[in-house]
Amino acid sequence: MQSTFSGIEIGKRSLIAHTQGMTTVGHNLSNASVEGYSRQRVHFKATDPLYMPQLNRENTPGQIGQGVDITRIERVHDELLEGKIVSRANGRGYWEARDSYMLQLEQVYNEPTESSVRTLMDRFWDSWQELSIHPQEGAARQAVVQRGEALMDGIHRQYSRMKEIRNMVEDDLTATVGRVNAILNDVRSLNEEILKVEALGDNPNDLLDRRDLLVKQLSGLINITVDNRDPDEFSIHTQGRHLMQGRVLTPLRTDPNPLNEGYSTVRWAESGEEAHFTGGKLQALLDLRDGDIRGEIQKLDVLAMNYIDLVNEIHRSAYGLDGENGRAFFEEVPFVTDVAGNYDRNGDGEFDSSYIFRVTGTNTLNPQDHVGLQGTITLSGPQGNIEIPYNPTDTVGDVISRINRAGAEVVARLDQSGRMAMKALPATEIENPDFVIRHIEDSGQFLVGYAGILQNSGAEGAYDWEQADAVLAFRGGGDSYAIAPVAHPSGWIEITGALKNDINRLAAGFGENGRPANPGDGSAALSVAQLRTRPVMLGNLMSFDDFFAETIADVGLRGEQAQRTFETENLVMKELEGMKQALSGVNIDEEFSQLIKFQHGYNAAARFISTFNSMLDTIINRLGV
Amino acid sequence: MNRVSTNQANNDMIYHTYRRQKLMNDLQNKMAEQTRIRELRDDPVAAAHSARFLSRISRLERFQENVENVQSFRRVAEGYMNEANQILHRIREIAVQGATGTFTKEDKKIMGQEVNELLKELVEVANASGADGSKLFGGDRNLTEPFRALEGRHPEINGRVISKVDYVGGNKDNFVEISDENLIPSGFRGNSIFWAEQHQIFSGVNAESYTVPEDTAIMIDGVRIPLAAGDNIYGIIARIKDSDAAVDAYLDPVSNSLNIRSTVPHQILLEDEQGGSVLQDLGVVSGNGRPPFNIASDARESGGSVFDMVISLRDSLYAGDTLDIGGRGIQGITSAQNNLVQEIAKLGSVDERMEIVWNRLNREIPQTQEQNSLASDIDMAEAILELKMLEYTHKAALQTAGRILQPTLMDFLR
Repeated sequence: MQSTFSGIEIGKRSLIAHTQGMTTVGHNLSNASVEGYSRQRVHFKATDPLYMPQLNRENTPGQIGQGVDITRIERVHDELLEGKIVSRANGRGYWEARDSYMLQLEQVYNEPTESSVRTLMDRFWDSWQELSIHPQEGAARQAVVQRGEALMDGIHRQYSRMKEIRNMVEDDLTATVGRVNAILNDVRSLNEEILKVEALGDNPNDLLDRRDLLVKQLSGLINITVDNRDPDEFSIHTQGRHLMQGRVLTPLRTDPNPLNEGYSTVRWAESGEEAHFTGGKLQALLDLRDGDIRGEIQKLDVLAMNYIDLVNEIHRSAYGLDGENGRAFFEEVPFVTDVAGNYDRNGDGEFDSSYIFRVTGTNTLNPQDHVGLQGTITLSGPQGNIEIPYNPTDTVGDVISRINRAGAEVVARLDQSGRMAMKALPATEIENPDFVIRHIEDSGQFLVGYAGILQNSGAEGAYDWEQADAVLAFRGGGDSYAIAPVAHPSGWIEITGALKNDINRLAAGFGENGRPANPGDGSAALSVAQLRTRPVMLGNLMSFDDFFAETIADVGLRGEQAQRTFETENLVMKELEGMKQALSGVNIDEEFSQLIKFQHGYNAAARFISTFNSMLDTIINRLGV
Repeated sequence: MNRVSTNQANNDMIYHTYRRQKLMNDLQNKMAEQTRIRELRDDPVAAAHSARFLSRISRLERFQENVENVQSFRRVAEGYMNEANQILHRIREIAVQGATGTFTKEDKKIMGQEVNELLKELVEVANASGADGSKLFGGDRNLTEPFRALEGRHPEINGRVISKVDYVGGNKDNFVEISDENLIPSGFRGNSIFWAEQHQIFSGVNAESYTVPEDTAIMIDGVRIPLAAGDNIYGIIARIKDSDAAVDAYLDPVSNSLNIRSTVPHQILLEDEQGGSVLQDLGVVSGNGRPPFNIASDARESGGSVFDMVISLRDSLYAGDTLDIGGRGIQGITSAQNNLVQEIAKLGSVDERMEIVWNRLNREIPQTQEQNSLASDIDMAEAILELKMLEYTHKAALQTAGRILQPTLMDFLR
């Protein structure tokens, strides 16, 4: 025989279930615009009916349904889709960061306008042209110095803006590493809570949503894979290493790197090993800081350094109005004041390196002459040495072009007087210093007896920088080589104070046969002006025109690529998130119709209870006296 | 996607509105700045080309200015050279008059006086300054007067007269760039323009057995002539003849010494390169002082400047020596005029060359500007059309969104 009150029980169950449904609808509506929220659904199930096949069952036709129960409250969520979103967030994070910083870098150039470093340089060259026409005029000299100063200002400004951007990226980097660690911590505490809730058989829907959101944010910062197969241990991996496993996490830290001007390296906090990532904002910042921005600063340094070298070479052999020569136009700030460029790199108290920027041969060469020699030149390159062969049928010009196109970090040119000069480029690897020649070797006689750079051929006669007094390998004396400059010439390039104070010291003429130049002699000014279009080898580019065009195009193309890729990534993310929204997003109309459905259900249950109540009333109150 | 959440519609609308607004903003900025390329990423390759064009334009404009500068300088010099020619013409007239035997010694003295005054005027012209105050005919020594007049006494005259005019100006030509790697000389040297006769230098030292001791060089008129160790006098003469200098060299048949002669009337400038002593050993130069004052003391010179000719004529007039006036006197003035006229003609032809360059630059500058414009300027019509289209789309999108985003089921439930 069934219980008297089982009907009310059924009604009660229905009321509770439908109230739960409405509560959940209310919850969905309230959280409709919360980021990362997945709509929750209540799952109804018919309660276990009577009677189950058991010994103590009543002998009555069954089974009799006993109402509705809620089995679980679940979020509508697709794990696979979430996984796809997490992996794409990584790409977007990378290109988003790259796009915004590349734009700033592009804007530093201020091209193609009339107020860029290039225009200031054009005006500077212009003033030298004017001086070559009226070398006797003080006004023309004044103009050279004034425009020179404007150019210095321009170069300094560009340098400091790029350095500022680099510093900003550095700050962003340390903040991002902090953010990664913070997110990992948050995920860990969420993990603990989720574990506890799941242990009791419940669905911690909101906590799971929060965790998913954090994981997506983390993916935008570094590349991660999520492993959720073991319900007790939620793991996050990167590059095959654990970032987090359940409650254990391996955070990151940043250490300043003295070989990289004090900028930080990202390491694993416990093991101290350097951490490498692919994609994500962190890697974008690292690539920008040590790749793009460093490269742009190096390009500006190449410009400044070659300026100083080329103009000073001419100016030193020319005479001022006071009849004196031997003066530099630009200040030269050598890395060390030691005459042979000796330096102690590892700080152990002994000189172990030679810092030389340029070496010039002792013999005059003619670019059209056949060299008539055979051998291989070995020069230092970005990673290891590079070999450049030459044959007897090559001309001097051929060999020099081959050296310049070989991709080494040393380039060559014939200077004013036809001598071969070899100059160092900025280094690609961070450990190597900029503008220092690391290795010159020749198995034959080209660099040795022909050009007069090295004393001997072969490995014994090679110039190698990792020893003190390496300059003894050079054939020429102390004035055939130049000491490497202090870092970043574009930051300190300056016209010498002596010139700024007395413009009569500005040298405009070469004079004749060892005699000082007369006031009307503008030959040196003409030579300086002609540097603008001659192939003077700026890095491995030929002339100033090539240099400017190439640097502009290069940074513009990278910016264009960043912008396009970012747009694409954004679009893809939008599609994926649209799909997620389609599945998990709250549709208000839908929720309202659900609400009405539950409301009716509730009303029906209430009505049912009151009907049953009046039935019970009849039995309880009406039967008997 | 069969199901659309409420947020989705909103997000989509915002995404597209943002994109449209960004495009409109960019376009507006580009129109305001009149350029297609606001950021380098807008068209990196065109930006690089534009940079090259802009630099080229400023360079071409500088060349044009150079040409104009030099042309005006030369015009002033030409004016003075013409004036000098006029003066020489007058002097020649007097010489012709004086050469006829019908005038007395007194008359000839008066003519001499006139020539003296004209001589002073000639020195003034040779020392003329240009508009910027620099001396026109001083070569690279253009802050001081190139011709120095020495005064002395003359037996026939009371007072001091000019006895000698020396050229103390510079010997180097200054070059100006008028287009890529195209140089023209911009100055004038008085010892080339105001020269009358071929300059000859006769050394007194026997050079038959001379050999050059080591590799060195000599400088003639600023041209470097390298000599190799072991060259004998014939080798030296061959090298001098082969060189670019406007001189000829030969061995004196009597004294076996080196003689050097100009092929175009001008003052020869001789010196040894620093560290060498070949010309000194051959007795041509003295080793002290700078050219042209370094001729060896036992070498003889002949061939004078315009002033030497005029002074010689004046002295002949004072002396009343008719033969001399009619012979050497007129001869000298004629040579002076011939050389001056040739220099003026040369000036004219260089001028012509500069005209051609100027015209070419005048065409090239607007052409380059046009190329730059094609690369970097915005096409206003196209931009305005695009902006209008965007505006229209924007309005339509906002209107649509307004209609479909508003009503929800909420509005219709009691």
